[in-house]
Amino acid sequence: MSFLEAVGRSAIEKVEYVGGLTIQFWRGLLSSWRANPITGSRLRWKSTLAHMAVVGVGALPVVCLIAAATGLIMAFQGGAELRRFGALQFVINLVGVSMTRELGPLMTAIVVIGRSGSSFAAEIGTMVVTEEVDALRTMAIDPVEFLLAPKYVAMMVMLPCLTIAAVTSGILAGGIFTYFTLDMSLHVYLRATLEVLVLRDIVTSMIKAIGFGTIIVHVGCFEGFHVSGGPVGVGRSTTAAVVKSIFLVVLADLIFTAFFYLFW
Amino acid sequence: MSAKGNPALSNRRRDGVEPLISVQDLIVRYGENEVLKGVNLDIYPGETMVILGASGSGKSTLLRRLEALEKPTSGHIYIKGVDVANCSSEELQQVRRIMGVSFQSAAMFNSMTVGDNVALPLREHTKLAEPTIRLMTQMKLAQVGLAGAEDLFPSQLSGGMRKRASVARALAMDPEILVFDEPSAGLDPIIGAGIDQLILHLKQAFKMTIVIVTHEMASAFLIADRMCMLHKGRIIAVGTREEFENTDNARVRQFLDRVPDEPGSGEAGFLSGLSPHGA
Repeated sequence: MSFLEAVGRSAIEKVEYVGGLTIQFWRGLLSSWRANPITGSRLRWKSTLAHMAVVGVGALPVVCLIAAATGLIMAFQGGAELRRFGALQFVINLVGVSMTRELGPLMTAIVVIGRSGSSFAAEIGTMVVTEEVDALRTMAIDPVEFLLAPKYVAMMVMLPCLTIAAVTSGILAGGIFTYFTLDMSLHVYLRATLEVLVLRDIVTSMIKAIGFGTIIVHVGCFEGFHVSGGPVGVGRSTTAAVVKSIFLVVLADLIFTAFFYLFW
Repeated sequence: MSAKGNPALSNRRRDGVEPLISVQDLIVRYGENEVLKGVNLDIYPGETMVILGASGSGKSTLLRRLEALEKPTSGHIYIKGVDVANCSSEELQQVRRIMGVSFQSAAMFNSMTVGDNVALPLREHTKLAEPTIRLMTQMKLAQVGLAGAEDLFPSQLSGGMRKRASVARALAMDPEILVFDEPSAGLDPIIGAGIDQLILHLKQAFKMTIVIVTHEMASAFLIADRMCMLHKGRIIAVGTREEFENTDNARVRQFLDRVPDEPGSGEAGFLSGLSPHGA
């Protein structure tokens, strides 16, 4: 195979992947109609609730712990530099703004990719290998509606909630730093943080959470639905789901950040 | 019995009865590899058709097209007059509701109880009340000899019981067509014979059209009204049990008499055609 052929084949595969993901996204969006509590069927809504518990409640401790550690690390690192200029109080701005706009959504997404994105790929992939997805189709049940839609609705609800929890944990951890270095009470610290933050920061954070959630669910499920090669294939697709999700989440983060910087 | 290259014989009309399933000029190609090379087959209402063939003959490929899980490269598959190879998704869903499929691996949902597995199509496609669904689930499980198993999980069942449970699920919507993929594969002869008896019981009790893919000859001769044999992507013989028993078709005879291929032909020939790296 010549170099040009290899490049062309790789480009076609990438375009096919994005095309497949886009089709699945629209089908998932339409199917979500039947997986939400207002318009959905009771069967799907039960499954959505179960996924909410796994995706959201199950991830809460680890998300909060990682976000708190990140907030504290940032305060230490920022404080070390800002102290040289006598601007240690700006650690409040640094932690508040960067946790809300950037690190809260990103760290949450990465934890959820590791916990849920990989499990979506493994669960659906195993069902493909054991012919369970074929069984659904022969029973006239749409696998996207049955398997993906409840996960999607659950993620759309729980990832913003987890992001709020992560941002709060990170900011509170920054408060520990200011308590010991600036002798600032937590109450004063939180008031100062709220003065620094504007509505735009919070909206940015929530938009990112929704975007990242969409990527995690769709990449995880897409990899699962396209498993081939038995149990080895399931392992491969699980790895691919994690790697591709992290790459796409970081890429989306860059696009969101550039967009908000330039246009808002 | 029909012969190779003579699809008219397999397409014969039975005293004006229209076939429930009609496969016409079915071709399936994967890249350069042509797996099905113009298959023609008619299956009539109420009959049990067994599709025989050696490994790699195209049985599973044909079955996946009959189940409308994959589209053929060309040709038509009419099920109750609807060409499932070229129909709208709504028509396809309608066809699927008159069809029950029992998979080789049973394909039970391991996260659900046996009862929930059987009840799934009823909950999805009907507006029946939950007590009625539970009652129907119990009835379907009783029909396959699994009364009282509704609260067990598939992992708690033996291989034969899982197969029976998958038949109960396939029966849930009272289908007109029941499809079995290797019903006794991986089961010991006693359990396999039990599955054969179950199919015979369903055939007699419900008069449904049954399509079975297998290479277990004893099972095929017990269950079939008619049989067909696939060889290298073509149907080389269609006929009744008696016609098969008395055939002089060399390949069918070899299959029935369990005579191995000559060295360099068959599977050995297939393997020798492959390079170690699959290039």
